[in-house]
Amino acid sequence: METQVDTSKIVKFAKLEDVLALGRAYSLWPLTFGLACCAIEMMATGMARWDLARFGAEVFRPSPRQADLMIIAGTVNKKMAPAVKLLYDQMLEPKWVMALGNCAISGGPFVYPGQYAVVEGVDQLFPVDVYVPGCPPRPEALIEGILKLEEKMTGKRRFPVAKLQK
Amino acid sequence: MNPTLEQLCEQFGRLVGPAPAASAAPAAPPAPGPVQRTDHAAKGYDLDVSVAPLQVVMAAEILDRSGFGLDAVTGVDWLAQGQMEVVYDYFHPTTPLRVAVRTRVPRAQPEVPTITAIFPGANWHERETHDFFGLVFTGHPNLKPLLLPEDATFHPLRKDYQS
Amino acid sequence: MPGAECQVPNDGSVTGAAGVPQSTIRDPQSTIPQETFVLNLGPQHPAAHGVLRVLMTMDGEWITRAEPVIGYIHRMHEKMGENRTWAKFLPNTSRIDYLSAMHYTHAFVGAVERGAKIEVPPRAEYLRVITSELNRIASHMVWWGALLSDLGGLTPFLYAFDDRELILDLLEGLCGARLTYCYYRFGGVCNDADDDFLRGCRQFVRHMPARLKLYHDLVTGNIILRKRLEGIGPISAEMCRKYGATGPVIRGAGVAYDVRRVEPYSIYPQFDFEIPTFPQGDSMARYLVRMAEMEQSLRIIDQALDKIPAGPVMGKVPRVLRLPPGDYCYAVEAARGRFLVRIVSDGKDVPYRVRLRTPSFSNLSLFEEASRGMILPDALAMMGTLDLVIPDIDR
Repeated sequence: METQVDTSKIVKFAKLEDVLALGRAYSLWPLTFGLACCAIEMMATGMARWDLARFGAEVFRPSPRQADLMIIAGTVNKKMAPAVKLLYDQMLEPKWVMALGNCAISGGPFVYPGQYAVVEGVDQLFPVDVYVPGCPPRPEALIEGILKLEEKMTGKRRFPVAKLQK
Repeated sequence: MNPTLEQLCEQFGRLVGPAPAASAAPAAPPAPGPVQRTDHAAKGYDLDVSVAPLQVVMAAEILDRSGFGLDAVTGVDWLAQGQMEVVYDYFHPTTPLRVAVRTRVPRAQPEVPTITAIFPGANWHERETHDFFGLVFTGHPNLKPLLLPEDATFHPLRKDYQS
Repeated sequence: MPGAECQVPNDGSVTGAAGVPQSTIRDPQSTIPQETFVLNLGPQHPAAHGVLRVLMTMDGEWITRAEPVIGYIHRMHEKMGENRTWAKFLPNTSRIDYLSAMHYTHAFVGAVERGAKIEVPPRAEYLRVITSELNRIASHMVWWGALLSDLGGLTPFLYAFDDRELILDLLEGLCGARLTYCYYRFGGVCNDADDDFLRGCRQFVRHMPARLKLYHDLVTGNIILRKRLEGIGPISAEMCRKYGATGPVIRGAGVAYDVRRVEPYSIYPQFDFEIPTFPQGDSMARYLVRMAEMEQSLRIIDQALDKIPAGPVMGKVPRVLRLPPGDYCYAVEAARGRFLVRIVSDGKDVPYRVRLRTPSFSNLSLFEEASRGMILPDALAMMGTLDLVIPDIDR
C-alpha cells in the first residue's frame, strides 16, 4: 500500500507576484547617485561596518538601465533636476525611489524664503517610495529605509523592530 | 623671491598716486589713504589697496611680479551707496603677506577689466562674480554662467534681488 | 620611493609607453580622417566625485579640451550668509565641504572672533586642533579609497572606511554628529571632551601607524598604482600659483605652502610637525603628500593630547553678536587646501557679505589647461589626485 505523502510538506504554492516581489526585495540594485553629504553615509553603509550586502543591496550600478532602486542622496538643484528626471526615466520598471536625507525629502536646511536654486524635495519630480530623514541620516537609518522598502514590496518585514525592554 | 611690505607699498604708491588731502573739518579723522597697512591679526590681511577700476590690471601685474597667487575675487553690493565693490585677495606661497586690492564701480554701469591674462585662475572667479552680481569683466574670454543654470538671467546676490 | 626595487620604465611622456598609438589629430602627417567628438562625463558618473560634469572634446582617447561644468550642487551658501545671524550660519559651514567640516567651521568662527575680538580659552584651542586633525585624517581616508576606486582597486575603500569609522565614533561621542559636525562656537567649542574621548584618541594614534604601513605595503608600492600615477598629470608650481591651487596640489609641485606654517592660526605654532613636499609635480607626488600628511596629523594629535590643559571651553561672547563695520578674513588649511572666509560686516547682527574661497574651486580651475593632450584614464587619475569635493566648488 502506498503511504500518503503530505505534499504541503514538500511543495509550496505561492502567487508568482509574491515570489517575484521576494526576489526583487532581497536583491535591490541601487543606482550610484550620491549628490552631496548623504552620499558619504550611503558609501559608509555599503562598507564593511554597516554592510548593506547583508540585505542584498550592495551592488551599486553606475548605469540607470541596470539599477532598480534610485537612492537620491543629497540636495537636488534646479540645474540638476533635468538630469535627475532623465535618470529616473532611464530606469526600467519596476523601479523604486528612496529619498535619503532632508534635502531629498524637502530641500533640507537650504530652504529659506526667496531661495533660488534648490528643488524642495525630490517628490516634486517623481514619486518617492521611502523617505529617510536625517542630515545626514545614520547608516542604520538607510538600512531601515531598505527594510521598509522591502516591507512595502513584499508585505512582510524581514527583521523585527527593536523594542525597548521595560 | 620674497617681497617686503615696503616694496609693495612703494610700488602701489606709484600706481595710485598720493593720498587725498585732509578734510576741512578739524575734528574729522584723516581719510584713509589708498594704500594702507593693516594688522594681520585683526583683519587677516597685511595691505589694503584701493584702486580705480582701470588700475586693477596693473595692480595684478605688480603682485604677479612679486610672486603672489590669486586667492579670491569678491563682489560686494553696496546698494545704499549705489556702488559695487570688487575685492581681489592675493596670497603669497612663501611669506605670510596677504594683500587685498579693492575697487568700486557704479551700480548702473558695473564694468571692471579682467585680470585673466595675468592670473588664469581669475577666469572662474570673475565668471562667478558676474553670475552673482552682474558685474561685467571687460575682455573676459567666456563670461557665461558658472554656478547658475546656463540660461539664468538673474543675479541673486544683489541686495535688490527678489526671487 | 617605496618599492624601489622594481624598475618602472617611465619615459615621462603624456601618451605613455612606446607602442601606444598616437593621437591622429596631433600628427599632421596622418592620412586617417580626423574628427573630434564631445564626450559628456555627465553629472552622474562614478568617477566624478559628486555632481561634476566635464565636457570632453576627444580625439579617440586623447582629450583635446576638457571643460568642467559646475553648479549642479550650488546650494546658495553665500546668499544664506546674508539672511541669517552669525551663529545661524554655523550649520552651513559644515556642509560646504562635508569631509573636512571642522576646518570650515573653524575658518568662519575664526573670522568672526577676529572681528568681534573674542578670546578663545586654551583648552578649546587644543580641542579644535585635535578635532581638526582627526577630521583631516578622515578626509584623506575617503580620498584614498575614492582615488583607488577610480583607478579600479575596489578593496582599499573598505579598509579606509573601517579606520574612518574609528574617528567617526570618537567625534560622535564628542559632538553627536558623524559627518556634519557643528562643534565649534564663537569663543570656543560647544562641548567639553571627557576622558573617554582623550583615551580613544590616544588609542587611535597608536593604532593608525600600523594601518598606514599596511596601506603603503599593499598599495603605494604596487606596480599598477605606480604606473597609473607616476609621471601622470604634471602640474607645475607656477601653474598652481597662477590658478591659486593650494593644498596637496601645490605641495606636490615642490612648494611648501601650508597655511598652518606660512600664515599660522590657532595654536599651530606650538606643535612640531613637518610639511611634506614632493618636487615631482605628478599624481604620485600628490598621492605621497596626502599619505605623509596623515602621519603628520597623528604627530600633532599626539602632541596636543600631551599638552592639553584643563579649563573652560567657551570664552565670553555677547548675547547678540554684532561686529564692527569692515571686512575680516580668516584662512585655514583644510584637507583640500586653503580655505578663506571673508566677511563684510555693516554693524548689524546679520553679515553683509560672506565670501567663501574654497580650495577645490581653484584646484579644479586648472584642470582644463592641465589635462590637454592626456588620455582619458590619465585625466581621471589626475582628477582623483586633485581631491575634489563638488559642493566645495559650487557652495
